[in-house]
Amino acid sequence: MAARNPASHTTLSPFQKFYLWAFAAVVVGPFLPLIVQSFAFRWEWPNLLPTEWWFTSRARARLPQGWDYVFSPHSRLAEATLNTVSIGLVVMVLCLAICMPAARVLARMEFRGKPAFEFFLSLPLVIPESAIGIALLLIFIHLGLAGNIMGIVIAHLIPTIPYMVRMLTAVYQGLGAEFEEQSYVLGASRWQTFRMVTLPMLMPGIVAGCLFTFLVSTNIFLLTFFLGQGRIITLPTLLFAKVSSGTLDASAAGLTLLVSLPGVVLLIVSEHFVKEEAFGKGFGA
Amino acid sequence: MQLATQPSGQLSTGATDRGVSRPVWLTLVALGPVTLVLGLLFGGACLLAVAQSLGFAPWFGINTFPDFGYFAALWGGGMFWNALGLTLYYGVVSTAVALGLALLLAQTLVKSFPGRALYRFVYKLPLMIPYTVGIALAVIMMGNGGMMSRLAATLGLISDPAEFPRLLHTHSGWGIIAVYVWKQTPFITLAIYAVLLGNGQEKEEAAAILGANRRQIFFGVTLPQIMPGIVSATLICFSFSIGAFEAPFILGGGFPDTLPVMAWRYFNDANYNLQAQGMATVVSIGIVAGIILFLYLTAYRNFERRRGRV
Amino acid sequence: MSSRIKYLTAAAALAVTTSSFAGEGAATFQADFLAGKLSWQNVVQEAQKEGAVQFYYWGGSDELNVWIDSVAVPALAELGVKLVPNRITGTKDAVDLVLAEAASGRGIGEGSVDAIWLNGENFYTLSRQTMLFGSFAQVLPNADNFEWDPADQRSQLNFRDFGVETGSQEIPWSGEQYVCAVNRALVSTDETLKTFDDLKAYLEANPGKFTYVKPPNYVGNTFVQEVVYSFNPDGTGSAPFQKSLEDLGVDELARLAAPGFEYLRSIEPQLLGAASGNVRYPEDAAASRGLFANGETHIHCEFGLFAVATNRANGSYPETAEEVVFPAGNMIKNKNYLAIVANAPNPAAALVFANYMASVDAQASKLEVIGYPAGIDPWKLSATDAQRLVEAAPPHFGVTQDELDANIAPDTNASLVDVIEATWLEFIERKATKPLAEIMASAAADLAR
Repeated sequence: MAARNPASHTTLSPFQKFYLWAFAAVVVGPFLPLIVQSFAFRWEWPNLLPTEWWFTSRARARLPQGWDYVFSPHSRLAEATLNTVSIGLVVMVLCLAICMPAARVLARMEFRGKPAFEFFLSLPLVIPESAIGIALLLIFIHLGLAGNIMGIVIAHLIPTIPYMVRMLTAVYQGLGAEFEEQSYVLGASRWQTFRMVTLPMLMPGIVAGCLFTFLVSTNIFLLTFFLGQGRIITLPTLLFAKVSSGTLDASAAGLTLLVSLPGVVLLIVSEHFVKEEAFGKGFGA
Repeated sequence: MQLATQPSGQLSTGATDRGVSRPVWLTLVALGPVTLVLGLLFGGACLLAVAQSLGFAPWFGINTFPDFGYFAALWGGGMFWNALGLTLYYGVVSTAVALGLALLLAQTLVKSFPGRALYRFVYKLPLMIPYTVGIALAVIMMGNGGMMSRLAATLGLISDPAEFPRLLHTHSGWGIIAVYVWKQTPFITLAIYAVLLGNGQEKEEAAAILGANRRQIFFGVTLPQIMPGIVSATLICFSFSIGAFEAPFILGGGFPDTLPVMAWRYFNDANYNLQAQGMATVVSIGIVAGIILFLYLTAYRNFERRRGRV
Repeated sequence: MSSRIKYLTAAAALAVTTSSFAGEGAATFQADFLAGKLSWQNVVQEAQKEGAVQFYYWGGSDELNVWIDSVAVPALAELGVKLVPNRITGTKDAVDLVLAEAASGRGIGEGSVDAIWLNGENFYTLSRQTMLFGSFAQVLPNADNFEWDPADQRSQLNFRDFGVETGSQEIPWSGEQYVCAVNRALVSTDETLKTFDDLKAYLEANPGKFTYVKPPNYVGNTFVQEVVYSFNPDGTGSAPFQKSLEDLGVDELARLAAPGFEYLRSIEPQLLGAASGNVRYPEDAAASRGLFANGETHIHCEFGLFAVATNRANGSYPETAEEVVFPAGNMIKNKNYLAIVANAPNPAAALVFANYMASVDAQASKLEVIGYPAGIDPWKLSATDAQRLVEAAPPHFGVTQDELDANIAPDTNASLVDVIEATWLEFIERKATKPLAEIMASAAADLAR
C-alpha cells in the first residue's frame, strides 16, 4: 500500500485547483437547471428562472402536472422502480453465484486454451448491445423468454459477467492459496475454511463486483427495450421514452432526477464499503 | 510446497489446489454456467446475426445462404461509410478527450488536498448515473434553448436562440461527445487512479530525487504503470461509443446517422429486405469492434515488447 | 408479412394457449352477435362474465393516460367490466402482435389484444388481413350518435378511414384536425399566413424559423400531404389522393405530387438549422413542440384542434400562441377509431367498452378534460347533449370554429401514404438526384414485395 511520504502532501498547482473546480462544476452543475425545470411551469427562453412556477400552476391545473404526475400512478414510476431494482438484485446474486467458481478456476489453474477463454469472457465488453440485441430477441422467442422478467435477468448477465469475473479473479489471485492451506493443515473443513478464511479476504472484491454488476444492470436500456417487448418497464426505458423527443418538460425533468437517485445512493454505499483499488482491479492487467 | 511456474510466464501465488490437480469435471462444472450463458446467448446471438445477414433465415422462408448480397448492398452504398466514419469519429474524439481529462484528474487525486474525501465522491457521480440522464443534462445545457444559450442572452451576446452556435443535432456531434466524455472520464480516472494508489508514489519520488523532470517522470515511470489500466479502460469506452444507441439517436444530426441508429431504423421498417440489411449493419458493427480490439491489442503488445515486458 | 410479425408468430406458437373452451364460447358469441341474435342485455351479461378488456393505445400523451386511468377505467368498472390499458410506443406494435397471434392459430377468445386505438395505415393492415371482429359499429346502442346515412356527405368519415372502407368494423372515437400554431409575440397579425407561398415568403424574411416533423411519423406525413394537395397541378386538391394506389397508378401519383415535392425541396434552405448546414427535422410532435416553446421556431403544426388551448394550459406552448387557418382549404381533418380485432379474448367486454367510448358522457369528458375533439356527430344528438359538447369544448385563439370547419380536406388513401413517406425519405432526406417519378416507382415496387 502507498506509504505516506512527505512528497504526497505537495500542494496543488493553481491550474490543478482550477481544474478540480471546473470538473466538479461540469459534473454537478447541470443538475441545477434540471431541478429548476422540474419545478417550473413556464420557463421560456431567455429567462434564467421560470416566469411561472409549478406551485402556482398546479392549483388551477385540471390534470396532475410536473411532480404531481411523476408521483401519481399514471407515470408508472413505481412499477419501473420495482422492476429495475429487483432485476438488478437478482442479476447481482446470480452473476456472483456463477462467476465465483469460474473466477477461482481462472485464478488458480492453468489449462489449454485459457487465454482464449479469458478473451471470450471479455468479448461482451467489446461487442455492443446493439449488435446482438435483435438476434438475442429471436433466440429468446424460441426459448419462450421474450417479454418476461426472467428473460431480462438472464440477458442482463451478458454485460455483467465480464466485470464480475475480472474483479473476482483479481481478488482470488491476490488471495494466496497458502492461507487456505494453513487452514486445512490446522484441521478446518472446506466449508469452515471458506467461511472464515476465504470469504472475508474476498469480501472487498465481492462487494465491488456486486456493486458494479448492480450498477451496470440498472443502467441497461437497449437490451431491456428489445427483449421486454414493451411489457417490462424499467427506469431506463421509462426515462428514454420521456427524453427521446429531445425536449424536457417538468415531469421529464422530475423523472430524470428520480432516476439519478439510485445512482447517488449506490455511490454513497460504495464509498463506504469499497476502496478504489478494488474497482481498479477490474480494469487492470 | 512447490512453487509451480506457469507455462505462460505468469507468477502463481501457490500450487494448484492443495497440490492435487482437481478432477476435470469439477473444473467444467465451475466454468459451466458462465460458458453456457455467454456461449449460448451471446455467442448464439452473434452467430445468428451473422447467419441472417448472409441470408440464412429459413423461419422466414428465406434461405439464400451464403448470400453476400446484403453486405454488398450495404457496403456498396455511400451511406454506410458515412455512418461508419461518423461513428468512429465520435468514438475516437470522446475517448481521447476523456483520457486526457482522466490523466489530469487522476494525477491530481493522488495528491492530498482539503476536501479530497468529498471529491472522491463527486467525481464518480457520472459513473453511477444512466446515460439517458446525461443526455437529458446535455439537452438542458447545450441546446439552443438551453442554459448556456440563455446565459449568453442574459450577457447580451445573442438576441435570438438561433444565434447561439448549434451544438446539438449536428453532425459535429458536440452533444454526443459531451455526454460520452461526461460519463467516461470518471471511468478511466478510476482505472488510472486505482493503479496509482496501489503502486504508491515511491518510484516517482525516487526519479524526482535522481533529477528527472516532470515529463520524464510521467513517460518513464508513471505511464508504464498505468498503461494496462488505460488500455483496458479506453478500449471498453471506445467500444461502448461505437455501439451506443441512445445518445446519437436523441442528440444526433439526423441522416446519415451512426451505425447503431441506422440499424435501428432498418429494423423498425416494415419492409423485410431492410431487416436483413439491418442484420448486415449490426454484423458490420461487430466486425468493426473486432478489428479495433485486434489493433488495440497488437499495439499494446508492441508497446509492452518495447518495454521488454512481454 | 413483416418479420416483426413472424418473430411474434413464433412466440405465440410456443406460448401456452388458453383453453379451447374459451375460444368456442367466444366464437359462438361472435356468430350470434353479428347475426343480430343478441340483445344488448345479452352482451352486457356476457361481458361481465368475461375477463378484463385489453385496450392497446399509444401511451405518449401524459394527459390521455391520466384520462384513461381516472375516467374510463372507473366508468367501465361501474358497468361491471374491467379495463386494462396497455400503453404502447407505436400502434404498429399492437397490430403486429394481433397478426402474429392469428398466424399461430389463436382465434377469437384466445388472443391478447381486444381493442386498439388506430386509424389509417394500421387499420388498413388489419382490414386487408381480415383481422377484424366484424361490423359492430352500427349495432351498438350508442351508434345513434353517429351519422350512418351514406347519402349524407357528413357521414364520410364514419364509412371511410384514410379512404379505406371501414365496413363499420371500427367506431370513431376522436376527431382531429391538423392545425398550425404561431407565436404571436414573434409573428405579428399583419403577416398573413394562408397559403404555402405565404409561408415561403415568411421564411425568406425570417430564415430558419420553421421546421416540420419528418416522415415516417404520421404528423410529418400529414404536413407533406397538405403540401401535395396545395400544389396539385390539376387544382383538384385532395380528390385524386383518395383513390388507392392500384386505381391511381404510380405515374399519375408522381405527376400530381411532383410540384409539392419541389416546393419542399425549395424551402429546405430556409428551415431550422439550414444556415449552419444541418437541417433539423424533429422526429415527432413533442420535439417540434419543444422548439416552438423555446422560440426557436415561430410556427408549429400538429394534429390538435384544441391543441393551443390545452397546451397553453399545460405550459408546453408559449403563452402567446394562436391558431391560424393554414393552409387555406387544405387543413386535413380526420377521425381516429377504436377497432375490435378478430381474435379478441373478451369480445363482449370489448363491445361494452367501445359503446362506452362512443357515449356522450365519455366524449364530453374527453373533450373537456384533455381537449380531444368529439368523434360523435353533434347533429345526431339531442339538443341538450349537443349543447354539452359545445360547452365542453376548449376555446380557440385567433380563429373561429367556423373558419376551421370551412377549410378542411380529407386524409390521403392509406395505400398512398407509404409511397409518399418512402419518397420523402429518398428525395428530401437523402437528396437523391434521380427524378421523382423514378423514386416513387421504385418505392412502390419495394413496398409491393
